[in-house]
Amino acid sequence: MTDTQWETYEVFHQTKKGDPHMYVGSVHAPDPEMALQMARDQFARRLKCVSIWVVNSKDITATDYQNEDFFAQVTDKSYRDPKAFGAPDKDLSDEH
Amino acid sequence: MSIELPFSHPRESVLKFILSLADDELMLGHRDAEWTGHSPILEEDIAFSNIAQDELGHSLVWYTLYEQLTGKPPDAMAFERKWNDFVCSRFVTYPNGDFAYSVVRQYLFDEAEQVKLSSFRESSLQQLSEIAGKLLREEAYHLLHSKGLVERLGDATEESHRRMQAALDEAFPQALGMFERVDDEEGLVKAAVFPGNNVLKTEWLKRVVPVLTNSALRIPVSSKNGSFTYTVQPDEGGRKRNHTQHLRRLVDDLQQVYRLVPGAKW
Amino acid sequence: MSSQEKTTEQKLADFEARVSRGEKIEPGDWMPDDFRKTLIRMIGQHAHSEIVGQLPEGKWIPYAPGFRRKLTLVAKVQDEAGHGQLLYRAAETLGKPREEMLEELLAGKAKYANVFNYPTPTWADVGVIGWLVDTAAVINQTMLAQTSYGPYARAMKRICYEESFHIKQGYDSIVALTKGTPAQRAMAQDAINRWWYPTLMMSGPPDSLSTHTAQSMKWKIKTKTNEQVRQEFVDLIVPQIRALGFDVPDKDCHLDKKAGHWHYTQPDWEELKRVVNGDGPMNKERLAVRRKAHEDGRWVREALAAKGKALATA
Repeated sequence: MTDTQWETYEVFHQTKKGDPHMYVGSVHAPDPEMALQMARDQFARRLKCVSIWVVNSKDITATDYQNEDFFAQVTDKSYRDPKAFGAPDKDLSDEH
Repeated sequence: MSIELPFSHPRESVLKFILSLADDELMLGHRDAEWTGHSPILEEDIAFSNIAQDELGHSLVWYTLYEQLTGKPPDAMAFERKWNDFVCSRFVTYPNGDFAYSVVRQYLFDEAEQVKLSSFRESSLQQLSEIAGKLLREEAYHLLHSKGLVERLGDATEESHRRMQAALDEAFPQALGMFERVDDEEGLVKAAVFPGNNVLKTEWLKRVVPVLTNSALRIPVSSKNGSFTYTVQPDEGGRKRNHTQHLRRLVDDLQQVYRLVPGAKW
Repeated sequence: MSSQEKTTEQKLADFEARVSRGEKIEPGDWMPDDFRKTLIRMIGQHAHSEIVGQLPEGKWIPYAPGFRRKLTLVAKVQDEAGHGQLLYRAAETLGKPREEMLEELLAGKAKYANVFNYPTPTWADVGVIGWLVDTAAVINQTMLAQTSYGPYARAMKRICYEESFHIKQGYDSIVALTKGTPAQRAMAQDAINRWWYPTLMMSGPPDSLSTHTAQSMKWKIKTKTNEQVRQEFVDLIVPQIRALGFDVPDKDCHLDKKAGHWHYTQPDWEELKRVVNGDGPMNKERLAVRRKAHEDGRWVREALAAKGKALATA
């Protein structure tokens, strides 16, 4: 079987400036420029969009779900949490 | 909302001119829409459907302008006129052929739209200028897509080159027919509605010749000192309502259900 | 203990515990072979249904009466291509290339929603498909939006959103016929008569005849039985049909007030088997059209791929 369906590109889009780019899916495309167009037609038909990024799927490096240890947190790190400390005292009497 | 043309404009000529714009978009949009479900790959199916909707949408915009000037609704103009009443070019009425022909046709049409709509930005007719400004924005994407396909398919493989060349050989004389002189063109030019088809054709050739040549495609055009000569006969007649049986069959399809029950609402 | 050290039994137990907690399974997660195979089959069939489903309505695009109907229909059929695209992608995350799925479909080796093996001889069929078939599809898809496999659930949510437009578009088209001439109303009733049983069959055979249901329910691939989905459809659609003044082509269809459901006659499941296995009115034609598009377009795919490689190494 020769695969004539092209490579896949992962698509990220930004709804409006100031928002982060969000992952919306992927398209098959023959090259990056066409991938942008395919992504626009597939993912920006109805949804408002001001920017699209496409990344060839093989360029995504991802963690492995099987390797849960990658995200392990075992020691107490509550010192990173702002709630672990008291807030500054405030003098609520009149100024001056 | 009805509007009036400036008193100095030749009314009948302007109306017919607007119809030619609307008719062109309608026929090409209809042809483009025939690719839905039949394209070479899913992603291109989605892309072609998008272009089809835009072209049909553009025809609706022109027919709506026509309605504002005459009171005749778009559905009546598109779905009730006889096939030999339309003033589209012949080019846009021909069947889709293979994908190469459709891509070449879309590209040549999209470049023609660029020069035509850009010229309308300077039109003495305010509505033409406003509408052109809007449509140019969607047309930019069409051109990006169709030009991208031409540049790629022109020399990608031996087979794609062969098919694209054959498509261009067929389409080029037909495309020249888009610039057929319209009725009372002198009157329209004098009223500064648009600069005339010869001007548009020259601008169009300036754009398509380099793109096609760089895509390894031959065209029967030579240029000297900024002017172009070509060795083929333009396929004209559409603006004078002189059409082929292809349009008759197209209109039969287009109006088939609409005409089933005369006067009915769908 | 890291996951590498667990036995298959333990992995299966973990998997089933996660699923029953309502957690999602993602590509790359350990999953039982049957789970993977079932999903590839289901998602693949769903994707095939979308692209074969373009044809019965797509046929009417050239003939659509008026700008609004024509534009709407192009947009709808375009959505179906888009849905197929999303679903093939979801299936690909399980390791099956799109080319392979398409070749199976075109060779007649893969199944797709049987409902699309029926012809669309009139304009009213387009509206009735949008109204009846898409309503049934949305009920099924809303249920599937809760499915345990992440990519499938995400695709379903997106599809449900777009499908809700399709129902409205179809219904609107039939309402126009209802308000029209006797000929138009008759066209609509005739289409309803022909699409009623094929649509009922969409939810799948009764669970007593279905081989896949029990395991699919356990692993939350689906969360309702075929009968539940079918009953939901009937309860929703019968009042709508009657409200427009049309008949449901089932003399035994009546409201069972005690049960709170509309009683209906079961479709002929033997017919389903015959049609699904290739003996329906349009099976050969539908596949022939898709095969032709695939073959005719091969040079385009190959050329653009070759150009893509050339551009990348330039």
